[in-house]
Amino acid sequence: MKNVVDIDYLSLILGYIILIIPFYILWYYKTGLLKDAFFAFIRMTIQLLLVGVYLEFIFNLNNSFLNILWVSVMTILATYTVIKRSNLSIKIFFIPVFISILLSIAIIDAFFLGFIINLENVFDARYFIPITGMILGNTIKSIIIALNTYYSKLKKEKEFYKWLLANGASKKEALIPFKREALQNAFNPVIAGIAIVGLISLPGMMTGQILGGSSPIIAIKYQIMLMISVFSASIISVILSINYSDKFVFDSFDILKKIGESKKK
Amino acid sequence: MEHSIKKKLQIIDKPVISVNNISVNFEDNEIIKNLSFQIKEGEKAVITGESGKGKSTILNTLLGFIPISKGEIYLFDKQLSIKNLTEIRSQTAWLPQETALHFESVNHIIYTLFTFKANKSKYPSKSKINHLLNSLNLLPELLNKEIDEISGGQKQRLLLASVLLLNKKLLIVDEPTSSLDEKNKKLVTDLILSQKDLTVLSTSHDPYWIQQSDKIIAL
Repeated sequence: MKNVVDIDYLSLILGYIILIIPFYILWYYKTGLLKDAFFAFIRMTIQLLLVGVYLEFIFNLNNSFLNILWVSVMTILATYTVIKRSNLSIKIFFIPVFISILLSIAIIDAFFLGFIINLENVFDARYFIPITGMILGNTIKSIIIALNTYYSKLKKEKEFYKWLLANGASKKEALIPFKREALQNAFNPVIAGIAIVGLISLPGMMTGQILGGSSPIIAIKYQIMLMISVFSASIISVILSINYSDKFVFDSFDILKKIGESKKK
Repeated sequence: MEHSIKKKLQIIDKPVISVNNISVNFEDNEIIKNLSFQIKEGEKAVITGESGKGKSTILNTLLGFIPISKGEIYLFDKQLSIKNLTEIRSQTAWLPQETALHFESVNHIIYTLFTFKANKSKYPSKSKINHLLNSLNLLPELLNKEIDEISGGQKQRLLLASVLLLNKKLLIVDEPTSSLDEKNKKLVTDLILSQKDLTVLSTSHDPYWIQQSDKIIAL
């Protein structure tokens, strides 16, 4: 097995130079994204450096309780991101979305780490944290798209929803077309992405494992299982989030309540 | 004249809708104030008035889509309440203005409502659909078209067909002839308002529809 070529810190800093090109393009076309992009990269760098230090520490300790705590913090942050990016109210959505994400990763982690990889301790930091992190990272994209589609369609096509209700549909039946569209919008790109893996794209985890010295065959096996896990966790958490939130967002006459965050300037 | 008397005699003296002294507020404005009316079985009533007077609001309150701040509403002898909502909605057919509804295909307009448990037993036969489409001056081949290939008037008549196929006792309909030309306005008006067992509550600006209705509720 070959040794991995490390990137020294000076080279890492030099690596940022390439950002001048995309930043210039964003500035030239007055996209209004330059400031956001700049701070996004600063945040990303600080977060990853801190996580790097923290993960070193947590991996050395490898305490199941601490690992669960860390994953819970990640889930809270994921929930917060999902709700904020969907312009929904934290007060209404936090509990349903948090529980849905937690439940879906619990199911998938138990299946993937406990049953498939058959780990002695499913909370082993080396597996539990990065794999849950990858599942969470991919899941939140789908939940954001699904929640955005679902609620924007329900608002925009309120008359259609009312038409269904007033002509004999139960609330559950009247919401099916909206859930269908939310799932289609969230998972069409995911399914297209899965279909081209290996041909056009090489996924990050697999690349990382190969760079880290694993054999490509092991890396591929992990990648396959991970893609299955991400896809399953995403669909489970999307539908749980939507269905569970339904209990809080409709009034007793089945009409959607005000659920958005008021935009503060 | 004789026809009109006969038609009126057919109306049984029993209110299907009873609106008692209701008020509706919208963002601190009282848009409906102390309104009362009754509609008997088989009666064809129309709410008239300028735009913005709250005509559509009244239709929406009857199905529980807009809350009332005062008064009571009874449909089929049942007070409009959370408890009775499902039962009331299962006995009504409702048609908002056609511009408010978006469909994936023309076929969907006719069949969507029959996918629901409450309507499955009423799933219409092809011949029944074709017969109704014919009487609405529509060709059955229209069902195979893409949604953007039909006109607003055709869509309005298709929507009307879908709710009539439900065979409900009460039809609540908002501006049923708004997208139609003169010939089809008359056709649709005569078709709906001549159904003796059907109770109709509508809103309209159309003089012919208003003239043919039994009762006018002017706002």
